[in-house]
Amino acid sequence: MPKLSIDGREVSVRDGTTVIQAAEKLGIFVPRYCYHPGLSIAGNCRICLVEVEKFPKLQIACNTPVTEGMVVHTNNEKAEGGRRVVLEFLLANHPLDCPVCDQSGECDLQNFYLNFGLYDPRFREQKVKKHKAVALGPHVMLDQERCILCSRCVRFTDEITKTGEFGIFNRGDHAELGIYPGSELNNRYSANVVDICPVGALTERDFRFKARVWYLSSAPTVCNGCAQGCNMDLHYVLDRPHLNDGARVVRVKPRYNPDVNQWWLCDEGRYGFGWIDRARLVKVLSRDGEVAAAWEQALAAIAGALKGGRIGVIASAQLTNEELFLIREIFWRALGAQVSASVPVKPGSCDDFLIQADKNPNTFGATLLGLAGPDAPTAAQIVDEALAGDLDVLWVMDHDLVELFGEEKVRGLSEKVGLFVFSGTNENATVPLAHWVLPSAAYVEKDGTFVNFKGRVQRIGRAFPPLQDSREDWRILLELAGKLGLPLDWQSPEKIFLALAKAAPPFEGLSYEAIGAQGVRVAVAP
Amino acid sequence: MMEALVIKLVLAGIVFFAALNLAGFHTWVERKQSALIQDRIGANRADIFGFRLLGTLHGVADVIKMFTKEDIVPAGANKTLHTLAPFFSVFFALVAFAGIPFGDRLILGDRVIELQIAKIDAALLYIFAMLSLEAYGVILAGFASRNNYAILGGIRATAQLISYEIALGMSVLGVVMVYGTMDLAEVVRAQGRMIGGWLPLWGIVTQPVAFFIFVTAALAETKRLPFDLPEGESEIIGYFVEYSGMKFGMFFLTDFLETIVVASLSTTLFFGGWQIPYLMPDGFHFPWGGVLLVPNPIYVLLGVASFSIKGLIFCFVFMQLRWTLPRFRYDQLMSLGWKGLFPIAVVNVVVTAVALVFFGKAS
Amino acid sequence: MAVRVVRRHELTFWEKIYIPQILCGLKITFTHFFRNLFLHTAHLVGRFKNVPASVTIQYPEELRPLMSRFRSRHRLTLREDHTPRCVGCMLCETVCPAKCITIVPAEHPDPNIEKYPIRFDIDLGVCVYCGYCVEVCPEDAIRMDTGILDVAAYSREAMRLDIHELMDPGLRKPVSRCNLKFPHKCGLNGGEMKGSWDAPRP
Repeated sequence: MPKLSIDGREVSVRDGTTVIQAAEKLGIFVPRYCYHPGLSIAGNCRICLVEVEKFPKLQIACNTPVTEGMVVHTNNEKAEGGRRVVLEFLLANHPLDCPVCDQSGECDLQNFYLNFGLYDPRFREQKVKKHKAVALGPHVMLDQERCILCSRCVRFTDEITKTGEFGIFNRGDHAELGIYPGSELNNRYSANVVDICPVGALTERDFRFKARVWYLSSAPTVCNGCAQGCNMDLHYVLDRPHLNDGARVVRVKPRYNPDVNQWWLCDEGRYGFGWIDRARLVKVLSRDGEVAAAWEQALAAIAGALKGGRIGVIASAQLTNEELFLIREIFWRALGAQVSASVPVKPGSCDDFLIQADKNPNTFGATLLGLAGPDAPTAAQIVDEALAGDLDVLWVMDHDLVELFGEEKVRGLSEKVGLFVFSGTNENATVPLAHWVLPSAAYVEKDGTFVNFKGRVQRIGRAFPPLQDSREDWRILLELAGKLGLPLDWQSPEKIFLALAKAAPPFEGLSYEAIGAQGVRVAVAP
Repeated sequence: MMEALVIKLVLAGIVFFAALNLAGFHTWVERKQSALIQDRIGANRADIFGFRLLGTLHGVADVIKMFTKEDIVPAGANKTLHTLAPFFSVFFALVAFAGIPFGDRLILGDRVIELQIAKIDAALLYIFAMLSLEAYGVILAGFASRNNYAILGGIRATAQLISYEIALGMSVLGVVMVYGTMDLAEVVRAQGRMIGGWLPLWGIVTQPVAFFIFVTAALAETKRLPFDLPEGESEIIGYFVEYSGMKFGMFFLTDFLETIVVASLSTTLFFGGWQIPYLMPDGFHFPWGGVLLVPNPIYVLLGVASFSIKGLIFCFVFMQLRWTLPRFRYDQLMSLGWKGLFPIAVVNVVVTAVALVFFGKAS
Repeated sequence: MAVRVVRRHELTFWEKIYIPQILCGLKITFTHFFRNLFLHTAHLVGRFKNVPASVTIQYPEELRPLMSRFRSRHRLTLREDHTPRCVGCMLCETVCPAKCITIVPAEHPDPNIEKYPIRFDIDLGVCVYCGYCVEVCPEDAIRMDTGILDVAAYSREAMRLDIHELMDPGLRKPVSRCNLKFPHKCGLNGGEMKGSWDAPRP
């Protein structure tokens, strides 16, 4: 455990730690371009120069291991002077087209230049022209002029995805980033190179010119694309409807969580937010699927039918634990309904890194609450019962039954069952067949928790209010409980979760504060 | 009898035609004179087929505008009185002209025509009576508008008119004493004589103090700056705030008519009316001995021209005063009338009486 | 705060009787009156033209000279090939305190320009003429030097200038011709991008 001093503060770290990591431990930020904690160390950008006493020259913090008694200065005049010169070199061939660059606003070149740039440039020569706006693959756009050759993307494709599309070609001034001829940057994690690119060389094609990054608001949430539950930040814009065709969600960025996804996010999850603003159900629809009706009317009608009827509920593993808990309390415990959250899913692709085959984010949560798993009935059983005429009310949440069981069966359901309720976020083939359609909020429009496939409970945060008339499922369920006369008087997902923690053993003692931003492991996966 | 009536009607027609046109012309004078004083150009946009005629057409445009504007009577106002008030105003201002002599006797054949619409022995009293009745139009307008601001404006106006009428009457008393008659034609004739054979015995010579009092009080009577408190169009809201269209225009017209009446009266009383120095009914008799004989019609016409020019100069001076002086405060207005003009006028009367005892009547 | 008592000076006798003061005032007004009357008359016969008789500026025919830094209606500056210099960086939209600028950028066919606005509206009914947009523009693409002051319209919509009017200050609504040569698919060109006044307001 060598002990060293950085900017006059002592710290002892493990052997083999580099100076940049030791400084991080003290909360001292050393500028970096090529260094990335998730990648190997290249040490080629030279921006992280620090002064180490008794060394004749400035040292790069990212690749200098600490030694006992080392004295490091990260931001004295000498270190900053070194960085200023390095930055001058990096900017020598940089096109300075920040106005058209999507990275501006979150660009490390801009940020560090503001801190210690040379404001009076000395570069008078002609800049080297390279290729601009080169589409590397479905998601990534390359601008070779903006590239500072930090090689983060090269190392990412070499080390993380092991696909190795990127390379640096030519030498000296003419060195440029590119992909190997004939290849395409189309691996399943390709857009991560945009996140790790410190400058505007690699930008997202999907986000291209949609908005400036300073217009974006950010909300932490969890991906609902698969059972992995990758942490991410949702970037949205509400006050400039002329941008992004009026859609609220503009892009998604991974959020660091060492236990789930580290720094990464798969392309599938990253670009899977389109449904939040497209083809949404925004009005309560009554029997014919045509007439818009009010919530009050719909819930009163449904509550009336629920009283004394034989009920089947096909819940969804897309719902939060809180909502599943409410479903259990209302339908299963109070009304004695058949409730299932184990719905057959179409087998999806998976790999051994992040992507899971189970495309529902909360299957494990449903299992912990007893709505899925070996003891619960399956959705197919409930559908069969309904077709046999054993059910008066069938409530389907989110799932497109037509896709799962075929249109004929669902048409049969619509005729056999006294009341066929559908609640969900988006239009699908089941909607026209349902007697009542209740629009519910997308997961980014509500608070709640998911349990990932490893048994980690994580919070999803509410980014913005539900679209138009749609309501959060927990609110629908609580209002329904009120209509049914059930004594459930929780006012928010947080209160529901506290009740859930009391009722369900795996969640014992948990609260939203205890879960925190990174989640807590509640159970071990079977 | 019939012939006399025709003559009177013709006279009345001439006087009213001149007075009304002059009043209309005043709007142009007011605009252009103020513009010149204030280094501006003044209204010059109204045109007929591109001819702007120095902005004279704005008066026409104003009249068209006023006639075509909606006539608004406030809800709950007494419609009859509301309509009557501007007519009162204009009527009394117009009939006041009847007493003003604008020329000497015109002799056509064996007929002698007095160039005065109404030959009244006490013409001065008649004009004063008409000017006093003027106050009715004002108070009626304020009262009939059913608007507190209007009635306050009307009360202000009435108080002002009554206060200054006293000074006005007192100042004229001196003139009446000097010339010994209330018949304005006789007053003018009396001013035709000379003192020492060369100085015309005009009112301004015999009664200079009375002249200043008279002009000041007369300005107050016309309700124009610096005494425009009754109106105070944009700031303190006057009695005709609830009037629009031609009814408003009639109040406006009254102001100009009164200005002309007062200018004519000033001319008559203090500047020799139709007198021209050294012009006797038969011709010029210069103090250095020259004599230039003039036939009667020419003599009368010269008199009328003299009267008109003097009147116009007065109008011009009044207008200049109006664009020179700021408005009085109301207490200043009242103290000027009661504590300034009235005592001086009384003293003037006493001094005149004493002087008359010593020097004898001018007549 | 120190209080200073200022006493009005007492009026002298001659001031109290008003008449000399009135005559002083009349002297001023008469001086102006006759001077201007003389000059106006002289101008009519073509003399003393260099001495102004009045300070009036006859507005629609005669314009007051503008200061060089005066901020009048906006315009978008052009490249040599008559495409807008604007690259749609939205800095003006960002800095605008009145939020009157609406920009929708798109991909330019020339990768060296890369980005350009397919919609650029300024709502003059909202604009406060602060000039920040000019100040912040990195491309000198927007200026407020048209000298157009008479911004008036019969509807709020007509106060919204779109890219046609901003690039060609001579145009007035309703815009009937589009002579923009850059790839701008507006309704007048038969494209799907309609004029901004037709675009649905969210």
